[in-house]
Amino acid sequence: MTILLDVITTAAILFVVAAGLLAIFGVLKIINFAHGAWLTVGGYCAVATTGMGLNPWLALPVAFVVGSALGGITEVLVVRPLYRRPLDAILATWGLGIVVGQLITLWFGRDVQFTPNLLSGTINVFGLDYSFYRLFMVLAALVVGLGFAVLLEGTRLGLSARAVIMNETLARALGIDTAKVRLTTFMIGTGLTALAGVLLTPLTSVDPDMGLAWLIGAFMLVMVAGSSFGALAVACLVFGGAQTLVSTFVSPVLGGITVAVLCALVLRISPKGFARA
Amino acid sequence: MDRTTRKLLFAMAGGLLATAAWAEDPIKIGIPVGLSGANSVVAPSVVQSAELAVEEINAAGGVLGRKLQLEIADDASGAAGAQKAFDSLVFQKEVNAIITMETSAARNAGLPIVAKGEVPFIYTSFYEGRSCSPDLYVNGWVPEQQVPPVVDYFVKKEGAKKFFLVGSDYAFGRGMLEFARTYLEKAGAQVVGEEYLPIEGTDWTAIISKLKSSGADALITSTAGGAPNVTLTKQLRGAGIKLPYGNLAVDEGTAKSMGPDAAGIYIAASYVTSIDSPANKKFLEAMQKKFSGELRTPNDLSVPQYEGIYLYKAAVEKAGSTDASAVLSALGEVSVAGPRGTVSMNKQHHAPLTMYLGQVQEDGSVKVVETFPDVDPGTQCPNL
Amino acid sequence: MPESRLPNIRVWLLGALVVASLFMIAFGPAFLDRFALNVLSRSMIYAMLAVTVDLLWGYAGVLTFGQAAFFGIGAYATAMVLTHLGSSPELMLLAFVLAILVPLVLGVVVGWLSFGYGATPLYATVISLVLPIVVTQVAFSGGQWTGSSSGLVGYATLPLSLAGYFRLTGICLLAVAAAAWIFVRSDAGKVLVAIRDNEARCAYLGLNASRIKIALTAVLAGVTGLAGFLFANASGVVAPENTGFVFGTELVIWTALGGRGTILGPVLGTIGIDYLSASLSGQLPFLWKLIVGALFVAMIILLPNGLAGLVGKILPRSKGSRGEGGPLRQAQVMQAPQDVVDKPPLLTIHDLGKSYGSLNVLQGINLTVQPGELVSLVGPNGAGKTTLMRCLSDGTESISGSVSVRGANIAGLAPDAIVALGVGRKFQVASVFDSLTVAECLRMARAARYRPSLVHSSQELDLPSAAVEILKLTALDGMLDRPVSALSHGLKQSLELTMVVALEPQLILLDEPTAGLTKTERMTIGTILKKLTGELGLAAILVEHDLDFVREISSRIVVLHQGQLVLDGTVQDVVNSELVKAIYSGGAHD
Repeated sequence: MTILLDVITTAAILFVVAAGLLAIFGVLKIINFAHGAWLTVGGYCAVATTGMGLNPWLALPVAFVVGSALGGITEVLVVRPLYRRPLDAILATWGLGIVVGQLITLWFGRDVQFTPNLLSGTINVFGLDYSFYRLFMVLAALVVGLGFAVLLEGTRLGLSARAVIMNETLARALGIDTAKVRLTTFMIGTGLTALAGVLLTPLTSVDPDMGLAWLIGAFMLVMVAGSSFGALAVACLVFGGAQTLVSTFVSPVLGGITVAVLCALVLRISPKGFARA
Repeated sequence: MDRTTRKLLFAMAGGLLATAAWAEDPIKIGIPVGLSGANSVVAPSVVQSAELAVEEINAAGGVLGRKLQLEIADDASGAAGAQKAFDSLVFQKEVNAIITMETSAARNAGLPIVAKGEVPFIYTSFYEGRSCSPDLYVNGWVPEQQVPPVVDYFVKKEGAKKFFLVGSDYAFGRGMLEFARTYLEKAGAQVVGEEYLPIEGTDWTAIISKLKSSGADALITSTAGGAPNVTLTKQLRGAGIKLPYGNLAVDEGTAKSMGPDAAGIYIAASYVTSIDSPANKKFLEAMQKKFSGELRTPNDLSVPQYEGIYLYKAAVEKAGSTDASAVLSALGEVSVAGPRGTVSMNKQHHAPLTMYLGQVQEDGSVKVVETFPDVDPGTQCPNL
Repeated sequence: MPESRLPNIRVWLLGALVVASLFMIAFGPAFLDRFALNVLSRSMIYAMLAVTVDLLWGYAGVLTFGQAAFFGIGAYATAMVLTHLGSSPELMLLAFVLAILVPLVLGVVVGWLSFGYGATPLYATVISLVLPIVVTQVAFSGGQWTGSSSGLVGYATLPLSLAGYFRLTGICLLAVAAAAWIFVRSDAGKVLVAIRDNEARCAYLGLNASRIKIALTAVLAGVTGLAGFLFANASGVVAPENTGFVFGTELVIWTALGGRGTILGPVLGTIGIDYLSASLSGQLPFLWKLIVGALFVAMIILLPNGLAGLVGKILPRSKGSRGEGGPLRQAQVMQAPQDVVDKPPLLTIHDLGKSYGSLNVLQGINLTVQPGELVSLVGPNGAGKTTLMRCLSDGTESISGSVSVRGANIAGLAPDAIVALGVGRKFQVASVFDSLTVAECLRMARAARYRPSLVHSSQELDLPSAAVEILKLTALDGMLDRPVSALSHGLKQSLELTMVVALEPQLILLDEPTAGLTKTERMTIGTILKKLTGELGLAAILVEHDLDFVREISSRIVVLHQGQLVLDGTVQDVVNSELVKAIYSGGAHD
């Protein structure tokens, strides 16, 4: 029973962390290696918000706004010239991640920062005391996932984004302003990632490297998921589940590299990952 | 020129040389330290305490009439950075001694360089033990000194019998917990689980679930400092773990940044700020005066750094010169009274230390629960 | 020609550079202090790594973070042998062999994973991320075998002084850089660039790009392991960070800042940055990283070819190979294997079908082609013409029925193996190598037949007479030195056709070779095709929309409609066929 909850909550956390990366990769076909830095930015938004004596929950909208604003600047200055050079885009965003990390260090220092818990304590689920916050993350993952579903299926932006995913040239020919779609998508992606950074603060330390640990895992999951949020959810459940099982029954050390190794194997056997599913 | 004149001239020249020595020929102390990377959290406090020590010593006339001068270099908290930093200090700045706290990887990377450059090395960090080199002295604690206070307290005062051990998968984490396991088993307690996560790991879920179902009545952790420690503690508290919790890797500063989550954690250290001794009070006041607003809380790494410089001073004075081999043999014999009490690195290049068992309070301060005087470091380097 | 003098200057510059390097290696220890010697020894080892990263990324187009892992394995292999087995000259030799062999073998495995059948281009990068993570974790978990986080230290190293290590690493770096420099200028080195530019074209020139990239990965892993061996000895310590992903990214950053796609750039970039960071990072650790990071981003965006690229822009004609040694001499060797006419039909298609899910693109196609025939394949858009061409040239397409070339069933054969059977394919859009010159492109077409040299850069161009004739007809023979990127659309089409003919195929597949060409160019191509089939006995299958053109040159016409072969006859038969008229006029209704 505990394992089941562990699997579901682990998958939910992975989903929240990877969603922003997927949004960008799905539409723009750009791998944003500054993903870790955006998570860190989110974490520091939580530090700054509570540092000013504001309600910790307020950090969520603050992080989204800050994340999208920085994302917008990034898209225009760094990513836009590189759409035709996807490998260079990986490198440029990685370099950007270094820059952001060092700026945060210069501003806030290297120290681990204090952030208050958003929700503390445990609640009783099926006779088990389980972390309240981890269960809340499942809700957060559902909100993020459904939010994207609504955005993609129900809005004009979503329609344009889907058109760009399917056939960009055609989309442009049909009069869709693809530059605007890209900018908006990138901003939503980075905003969402910063928001995920806030959601991580009750689970991890907040320091200038906090995002880096999540980067490779998120990257691998997104590679497997392609451009579909449904596939990402499946991937998070499968690989997050595998990680939990390996950690529980074999060794947490192996569990730590489970997601990366399994995703690499899956991509070898089926280059499109779960995207076809 | 008659003899007298010649003597006089020599004396004058000697005098000139002597004043020149004060002005131009200081004793250089190299501090390769993690200004960036994992140790950059604690490094500034280490540099501050070194600066205070040097200022005090120079104000009191220096060492053998020569001034002390610090040379600080970033080792990026790792082996590659340490090589650069040691190279620069030993060969470029030509320091007379290396006195610093570093990661084990950085220390190991530096050892061949101090051997090549023939420079005494005082290591001021606690570590997993058994690093042996004729050039190396250690004044921080080792597992033999730190683990027993926690275990003894849990067994005797909390009545704990089943222990669960959690660590980061690296030399310090494994070294501490391996010793803890042997010590626990000798003390008649049972180890019901021993789990490790990769050093960069962030997800302790499975380990925490195992801990919950293990029936343990006490928890001892030894993670990498900083981030993994905070992450584990947050997730433990999130899962509602309220067992007696001994953390072998947390310092006062990190405990503070965890806020209420850290309350109740037991730590064992050779230094906590609340040590009630005149030497410590004097030290804290001097630090406060020198750095005021910029002051980084003194801790179990920065205070040994402070004392390390005094130990070096004592050794140079005993040896009568900065000659490496003379200083190295003197270092094992001198002792210094500092904020932690009287310290002497006379046990196989390691130091017997007074250990304090403390408990983190709601406000982040550490209350000393029990004091264990002069804990022996045990057999560290039988060949030295 | 003013250009012909420039290469001399370049050769002089390079010679001076080599002499200067040798001087530095020999006499550097006399005037450099110990700090500089020590740091430079290490920087030069890192520079060797940068050269390997550059060959993979700058030349072969494979972005890799994995060189750090091979480096770490080489270093760990050395340190583990010396720590756990002890030290003696024999064990040092064993360490040396293992440090190269273990990465080499792993390189084969990684290469196969990265480039073996079915791997996507991005996959190599994915693997190169996972590899260092796994290796680092192994190093952490290795207990006393690997020293965990503390690494290994205190083992007996080569008995060299600081100056000795400086000279040893200097010589090794010079050797690696020189070997790389010669290699990238050799004919084989050009193959890497060709693969980077256009891997599909390489496959259809009979080159097994996967195998070449696997071999490259393995060999460079071995070189990297050698660097690891040197590092373990020179530094006396090996730690997990030497093998990690972050170190892998640093190697890429140094390579990028120095200038990818050049050999000198990454070498100087690495030595410069590593030396500077050793000197500066103590004063401003975070700011230094910030500056390097910002420079890196700016460089990737604005100067993708790094500082060396900038220098190249300032110095005229920096691409050394071009024009070097003057115009190309053209030796014409005509072996004319086309005269040997096989007895079975060249191509036999039996009941071929191809479907995507429930959509049948091709159905029940039967066709035989004899030597000397020029078969035109016509039909409206979507009739399945290009699909049919693909099924004939790539045996890995899943089909029903069978396709045989000269009696051999091509099922399961990759394009390069089918080229070896004597099938050449020209694509609809001219598929050539934009970074190469005309001559180099043509040499590429001969690379599968005559193994290109790893050291020499050919000055001659051996082509079958038919290919030479096309060059003359199209005036390409006067542009052999010209970069392909400067050719017109029509010339690119002609060049591709020449490349296909240079393969000495017996069957040529041409997908709309005249699309977008001028009338004169069409005429030329028509003449060539007629000559190839009529006089030299090749067979050709031609997909074409221009019915006038088809009528003029074809010996036979096949009509494809909705995936089925509806008509197969002479020009006369087809032109007068009511069915064809109906298809073409009614095609719009389908």
